[in-house]
Parts: sequence; C-alpha cells; structure tokens
Amino acid sequence: MAKIVAGFGVPHTPIFPHFVKRDGPDCEIAKLFGAQKEQLAAMRPDLIVMFDTDHLNTFFLDALPIFAIGIDKSFRAPNDEPRDVPNYVVPSLPALAAHIRAAAVTAGYDVAMTQHFSVDHSVIVPLHFLTPDMKIPVVPFFISGHVPPLPKAERCYALGQAVARAIEAWPEPLRVVVMGSGSFSLEVGGPRMAASRADGVPDPDWAARVIKLLDDQKIDQLIAESTQHRMLKAGNVGGELLNWIAMLGAIGNRKPTYVAPQMQNGHAYGVWTWN
Amino acid sequence: MSIFAVNYLCREVLRDHAFRAAMKADPATALAPLELSDEERRCLLAGDVGQLYRMGANGFLMNYLARFEVCGLNAEIYNQRMRAVKVDEIGQPVA
Repeated sequence: MAKIVAGFGVPHTPIFPHFVKRDGPDCEIAKLFGAQKEQLAAMRPDLIVMFDTDHLNTFFLDALPIFAIGIDKSFRAPNDEPRDVPNYVVPSLPALAAHIRAAAVTAGYDVAMTQHFSVDHSVIVPLHFLTPDMKIPVVPFFISGHVPPLPKAERCYALGQAVARAIEAWPEPLRVVVMGSGSFSLEVGGPRMAASRADGVPDPDWAARVIKLLDDQKIDQLIAESTQHRMLKAGNVGGELLNWIAMLGAIGNRKPTYVAPQMQNGHAYGVWTWN
Repeated sequence: MSIFAVNYLCREVLRDHAFRAAMKADPATALAPLELSDEERRCLLAGDVGQLYRMGANGFLMNYLARFEVCGLNAEIYNQRMRAVKVDEIGQPVA
C-alpha cells in the first residue's frame, strides 16, 4: 500500500528564482530550499501531493472551486511568467489523483477537478528548487485561500486526513510526500503593501505565532486561531496557511523536524519526517 | 457585477500578449470594445487603481497593470496609489 513518509511546508514567492539566479547558491533562499531539497531526496518519494492555492490562473473568478484536484498524466507550468523560471512539464499520476478525489467526495468533500491544465508559480516555484529534474510525479490539490469566503481551517485539516486515508488505501507501494505551499502573512498588490515593494507583511506577529504553534505541535490551537478574520488580517494571501493545515491533517499531529522562519516574507520552510 | 470585467482584463494583460501590447500602446483603443462602466473605464485609463480597489477590483490582479506598466502605471506609482486606500484590519476599503 502507499504510505505517507513526510510532510513539507514551502513558500512560493515568485521572485525567488530570480533572486537565487542573481545572488548565487550561498544566499539565504538557496540555502533554505537547499536544506529542504536534501531532506526530500532522503525520503525517496515516488509521489508528491501538494496542497496549494491557485492565484487565479488555473481557475478564475468565472468558476472558482473551494477545493479542486488536478487529474492528468502531466501538467504544464508556469502559466504566470515568474522571472527566471523555465517552462516545465511535470509528470502526475491521474489514476491516483482520481482515486483521491473519489475518496474525498465520498467522505463529504465536494472536490472539483481540472484536466489538461497548467499551474502557476505557487506550485512550480517550490518544485523548481526541490525537484528541478521534474522526475517525481506531483498531484496538485487546490484550496481556495485568497478569495473569501475561505474554507474553515478545521475542514481543511479534516480534508487532509481524508486525503491521507485515500493515499493509504492505494494498492501500489508508493512513498508519498505531502506538501503545503504558501505564506502565513502576506499582502500582494493590495493596500497593505510595504512602501516601495510589490508586497508586504501586514502581521508579522501572526506569522511568528503560527511558527511557534507548529514548533510546539499545538495543531488544535493553530486550527482554532486560524479563523477567516485572522488569516485575512494577515494579508490578502493569508489564507494560504490553509495549505499547511491540510498538509498537517494528512501527516498526522507530529513534531516538526524543523520550521525555519523567513520573517521578512511572513513565511517559513517546514519539514516533518519520521521513522 | 461589471467589476468582473476589470478583474478579467487585468489577467488578460498577463495571459494575452497581443492585448498586453495593445494596452501598452493605446489603452483607450484596447479597452474600447470591452463592456466596462464609464467609471471603470475612466479609472483604468487614469491608472486609478485605488478607486478601482474601492469599487471591488482585486489587488492581486490589478498588480499586473503595474508589472507590465500599462495605463501609466509602474511599480512605484501603483504602490503609492494603492497604499493611499484606507482599509480596515482585514483589508476592506473604508470611507
């Protein structure tokens, strides 16, 4: 049977590939992603399931699912021109993705699907750093984290649990890593940007609080505090925290191997491994 | 809900390179065939992203207007105009 072997929390700042190209392998971003890349390789994953918030590129305001999964043998990226990110084709496992969707719907989560799709920086930037060969199949699972109403944190956690049950019921002996992509406090293009930046961190205290709760393994407390109001107070993409919460639901309540903050960006790099 | 048209055209500036070029060359002509209210059209042509935000346009999407420097916008002008919008603690515009 397939089994979940690790959880990762990743940022996806679209300018990071440019910064690393410009600043080289010793810059902070390169080192933080480099450490995660080593941890990921050690897990020998056969599949990555990534919880992610699409930035109105795969979906749009004409048809915007709260939950959706990508089902195809591969998908293209990026579809939003992040600087210094090449065009990739990422392999996927459509039969397993369809199985996850069916299991989630049976469990009470009405998950939309997309086929013949492309994804934006929020999926491909972390993969650009972590799996640049694009040999490991990836199933993207989309959670609406930008456009209110946001799904509730406890529902996203329980969704993660349902996805885990589906993965563990899959007959092939796959090693599966679950990722959550996104920030804890960030405003992009809105009034709470910092001066002379395209973004800002409106609520660094909340980002620090999230990281503390992750470190202390107080997931119930994190879920209780992650209300829609609290996440939106943290920025117009603050709901991306839901992707981390779904990942936590999938891996179970565990102590992180580490959570490395990057407070100037309101996010962190998290790794959960066991065994 | 015609503000949808504003949000939509912002994303088209990203996705449709011909439309992006047309918006850079002559925004009034590029916007002419689109179904926009008079106020939306005036704000777009003036690069008044603050007023468009107050009208419900999406900040993340409007950022493409700055990124691709259309309607007289660039990153700094966009930043100043957007930051001038008064908002409550969850980012909703207030009078």
